[in-house]
Amino acid sequence: MIELDLKIINQLGLHARPAALIAQTAGGFTSDIHLSKDQVSIDAKSIMGILMLAAEHGSTLHLTVQGADEQQAADAIKQLFENKFNEEF
Amino acid sequence: MLVLKGIAASPGVAIGPAVLLPGENVALSRQYIQKNEITSETQKIHQAVQKTLAELDACEQKVLDTLGSEYANLMSTHKLILQDPAFHKAILHKIEKEQLSAQAAILFTLQELSAEFQKIEDPFFKERRNDLLDVGKRLANNLSSGKDNFLASVKNPSLLVAHNLYPSDTINLQENQILGFCTDVGGKTSHTALLAQSLNIPAVVGLSTASKEVHAGDTLIIDGENGLLVINPDRYTLSNYRKIQRDIKKTESLLKTINHLPIVTQDGQAFKLFVNYDPRTDNKDNKRLITDGLGLLRTEFIFMGTPIPPSEDEQYSVYLAVAKRFDMRPVTIRLADLGADKRPDFPLDEFNQEENPFMGCRGIRLFLKNPELLHTQLRALVRMACEVPAQVRIMIPMVSSVEEIRHVRRAFNGVLEEFAKQGKHPTNKIALGAMIEVPAAAIALDGMIGELDFISIGTNDLIQYLVAVDRVNQEVAHLYDPCHPAVARALNTIIQTAHKRGKAVSICGEIASDAKMLPLLLGLEVDALSVTPRMFLRVKNNIRNSNFEHCSNLAQAALLMGSSEEIRNLIEQNDKHENP
Repeated sequence: MIELDLKIINQLGLHARPAALIAQTAGGFTSDIHLSKDQVSIDAKSIMGILMLAAEHGSTLHLTVQGADEQQAADAIKQLFENKFNEEF
Repeated sequence: MLVLKGIAASPGVAIGPAVLLPGENVALSRQYIQKNEITSETQKIHQAVQKTLAELDACEQKVLDTLGSEYANLMSTHKLILQDPAFHKAILHKIEKEQLSAQAAILFTLQELSAEFQKIEDPFFKERRNDLLDVGKRLANNLSSGKDNFLASVKNPSLLVAHNLYPSDTINLQENQILGFCTDVGGKTSHTALLAQSLNIPAVVGLSTASKEVHAGDTLIIDGENGLLVINPDRYTLSNYRKIQRDIKKTESLLKTINHLPIVTQDGQAFKLFVNYDPRTDNKDNKRLITDGLGLLRTEFIFMGTPIPPSEDEQYSVYLAVAKRFDMRPVTIRLADLGADKRPDFPLDEFNQEENPFMGCRGIRLFLKNPELLHTQLRALVRMACEVPAQVRIMIPMVSSVEEIRHVRRAFNGVLEEFAKQGKHPTNKIALGAMIEVPAAAIALDGMIGELDFISIGTNDLIQYLVAVDRVNQEVAHLYDPCHPAVARALNTIIQTAHKRGKAVSICGEIASDAKMLPLLLGLEVDALSVTPRMFLRVKNNIRNSNFEHCSNLAQAALLMGSSEEIRNLIEQNDKHENP
């Protein structure tokens, strides 16, 4: 199992497009992927779950990944956060 | 307990649990399924998801082409929501574990998830709720053929709450356990209200916020007598209404005892009483009524829901059935009043870009521009009259000038000749009359009456045009006032002008079944009234309890009055005196 803390550095927070990107990316892996914030844990493959976290700029999410492709999954998602979801250049 | 005030559209009192029409509101009743239905309900969900995905794909492409990628992203978000594993799990859980129907499972899942979003403080994330609801509604609509299916799936006697009900919806109500209905929009004379009356179920319309205030499963009282909707009544109110319900039933059975009695006032003045008839909502009770005949058959329904205009054969078979239903008694059949709010599916140039359709190309205006439509309907009617010994009365809608009547008369004579050449003649002479609903026709009736065999006053439209009020526009609906002095005076002018030439006048608007207005109409010496089957015995009973001399005095007094308020006081006082 891999656990990481991810900080939201894009200005708008986890709005619809980033949420969609995370869900899409997570959906491409077989591992169980969860994101949690303030004791609320959600399935990262669920766009609605991600939106419900209402994660704003500057907040930190906790990522847990467990499964056969856990390393690749964790890397891919970490990259999304670091690249500000490809929306700020 | 919450009481909403609306407009009484169909009398009676209904008590029961609420169901909400989907597509209007996401809340819905809990419909349960059997264990052996679980697989098929799950299957339905999968099919609906595939169908919705295909729709969203098509939509995405279209949006991409027209609005650009920014908006297309929204559609891909919607697609993700649709495929969201958490969403699916919740829906399937509801079907498998709680044994809810597929539709209820979707809608309750939506409700729960949207409540979660509602808790979020950040307005941006809270707003995502709407994306969810949008997708969810799409999905629910793709489950089945939609509303019809919903109405068919209501398994327990319930009261239907909808933002708006279309006549096509109300047609499905009777066989489907709906005890009564209420809507946010609509007025007393909306077509929905008229249909509710022919279905014999209580209805209240124009409630503004009913579909928002009511939750599925709430106990409701629909008070079609006073135009009230009671949500979750307290025990006292509930038992009170149960008693009222029993009293109404008693009155209804009492009314049946007067069915065979003549329609005369207490001082011996006879009136005729016709029914407005809709073959789509006929029932056993209606067939038992002893009437003077059919006062108004609206034929628009034959022209609706078909890609091409109905053929002579199709129309003929409808009219033949109607004539047989009424035996030898008169049947008044109105030429199709298409246009305004009744637009057929087949293309007609006249409807393009009408800014004000109620004053546009409707009724006879449309038919004179499309003479083949007029010709076909006249042929079907004459053919029926040649076939059976019916007393056919053809009525022209929306007449505003004598030329229009002459045009129709010429077309009608042409059709008679066509049949005569084949050696066919109507068994009884066909009467040609007009519906008087345009103020110009009312005022200048003396120039037209010679060309007409009878007239009928369509008070719903006449009042609307007299006071220049759109009866479905909530902002001005209160100005739609049958007590306006102009109404009594217009009716008086029409009736007196027709009587001078020995022609009979009937009234077939909603005003005819308004108990308080009845003494005024009788006093103005109308010859006949035409009312819905639902109201027939009530009106008959009211006529039988009236005193004609008293009504005459009341009418004469009303004609001298200059304000709605005076006339309203007059009839209210009279009503209190007569029915203390």
